[in-house]
Amino acid sequence: MNSLVRSFGTWMTAVILLLSSTWIVGMIVAPQLIMVEHSFWYLDKGGDEAALSARIDNLYNDLDILSLDKSDAELLSDEAQRAQVLAEIDSRAVAIQSEIDTLETQEVAPEKVYSLHNYTLMGKSHLLIFLKTIAASLTVTFIAFVVCYPIAYTVAKLATPGKAAIIMLGLIIPYAINELLRVFAWLMILNYNGVANFFITWMGFDPVPFLESGSGVFIAMIYAYVLFMVFPIYNTVETLDTNQIEAARDLGAPMWKIHWHIVLPHAKPGIAVGCIMTFMLSAGSYAVPYIMTRGTASPWFTQLIYNKFFESSNWNAGSAYAFTLLVACVLFIFLLMRIFKVGIREIAR
Amino acid sequence: MSALSKTMTGGVSRIILNVYLVIFFLYMFLPLLIMVIAGFNDFSQPSVTVWKGFTLKWFGVLAGDARMWAGLLNSVIIAVAVIAISLPLGLAGALLVTRLESRYNGLLYGILVSPLLTPGIILGISTLVFWQRLDVPGGLFTAAIAQSTFISSYAMLMFMARLQRQDLSLEEAAADLGATHVQSFYRITLPFLRPTIATAAVIGFFQSFENYNTTIFSIGGQHTLVTEIGSRMRFGLSPAINVIGILFIVITIVFATLYVLFRERERKRESAR
Repeated sequence: MNSLVRSFGTWMTAVILLLSSTWIVGMIVAPQLIMVEHSFWYLDKGGDEAALSARIDNLYNDLDILSLDKSDAELLSDEAQRAQVLAEIDSRAVAIQSEIDTLETQEVAPEKVYSLHNYTLMGKSHLLIFLKTIAASLTVTFIAFVVCYPIAYTVAKLATPGKAAIIMLGLIIPYAINELLRVFAWLMILNYNGVANFFITWMGFDPVPFLESGSGVFIAMIYAYVLFMVFPIYNTVETLDTNQIEAARDLGAPMWKIHWHIVLPHAKPGIAVGCIMTFMLSAGSYAVPYIMTRGTASPWFTQLIYNKFFESSNWNAGSAYAFTLLVACVLFIFLLMRIFKVGIREIAR
Repeated sequence: MSALSKTMTGGVSRIILNVYLVIFFLYMFLPLLIMVIAGFNDFSQPSVTVWKGFTLKWFGVLAGDARMWAGLLNSVIIAVAVIAISLPLGLAGALLVTRLESRYNGLLYGILVSPLLTPGIILGISTLVFWQRLDVPGGLFTAAIAQSTFISSYAMLMFMARLQRQDLSLEEAAADLGATHVQSFYRITLPFLRPTIATAAVIGFFQSFENYNTTIFSIGGQHTLVTEIGSRMRFGLSPAINVIGILFIVITIVFATLYVLFRERERKRESAR
């Protein structure tokens, strides 16, 4: 704290602390805590409670019908008959209203119950989808690494500066184009009457239902997130002293040994970042499965979360699902930090 | 002999690598090319396999789409708000982490970058739930807040990278000459950070504008250009979407080229030194 005051004086230190704590507490920590808290309770309406509120709703309906009858009755031409019908309607309305009042006093606010209910709600089928999502994301991450490592190495170490700049441009353009549009391009290819099936049927095979089988999600996801692996690896490989590679080569080391003993160990932080980003984006992707399944294939875990929030309006269960996903991502980060022996400072740079 | 075989294998692996690069870039660009071509096809669905002739009419269809324009306006409003929130927060965080000498520094840093390692939908959800407790429903405001949570982290990392290269003796000299802390901040630190402020604003704008996953969970009943594109892709496909794709691609190519040229110039200047 003293070091801050020394650099910035009291006033600016106060401003810096105010802004930082707003961000940390108000935008990062508190929302996460509230979400977690939200996931551990539900509103218990109870069995009788539900029947009671249904009965109250019915009585309100009856009141509405009566007021319609009343406006009909007011049009009656015979004055004596009209007065009689109106009086009858009014007395019934009063009776219903008093019944509603007594019932509403019995009705209590639904009880807030803390439990693991929202987590047990998941059941076998949703748990299976969760595991499938994690497994698919791990596969995407692995494929992305295999595809990207040679590219990153080429740009960083092999290509001439001019060629490297062009390759870099070729990487940045698809990287920067909106995720949805890149996925859309694959929708056009993998659709039932898309480009891929055009060639498949042209060659005399049956069309393949890429979207309905769920393979479309996987293919588009690799395409959408593969480039998040290139840049972190490139950044670390670039800092490697090329003399080390040349020395190893002069001493007769084969290519794979140079990579295994020199380049890969040096690139570890970059690989860790690339893997974390790719995994996190895949497991947490809502856009790709949303577009690439069109509701026909089995859903991605994120879609279950979305449905809990915005279709069945069960925010408590939705929070529980979201927290489950978050825990999986955090575990993955810790696992990679352990495997690659890198710290958080090296990861987020 | 061994030298010869070495250059032979070198040549072969070079060819393999080049072939690999070509395949990789075909994989990257062919889908985009297909999307672009379909935007000029005079056919009611996005398609390149059924060709009905060249047309520009989908540009007109898109230009007459009121919901898209409303979404564009919302996107810009959110992006401007995000810049206004994340630059001060990111700068405050960067100053705090670079200058605070404390054993909690690592923890602090970890918390401040954690939004970058959190799935976007979680940021959207937690912001939505948090503000709902304060009786603020989902809308443009919550979307801007949710996005700022992680865009501030990007800004912070950029500011930190710049601050690490700052020459502290300038500030000390200013203090020796009697400048107050506020004066030396405005006269020395802020001008030094100016290029980063500009870069962070541009990157923050694009991060916000392009965001889907965080926004869709925090925006309530409102829509941005990108969430609207998302729902169009799922319901009622039209080549107007391809036209949006064409526009995004053109803008991206222009900016990416400028960025690479700028980087090359910097690199040349560095190596000339």
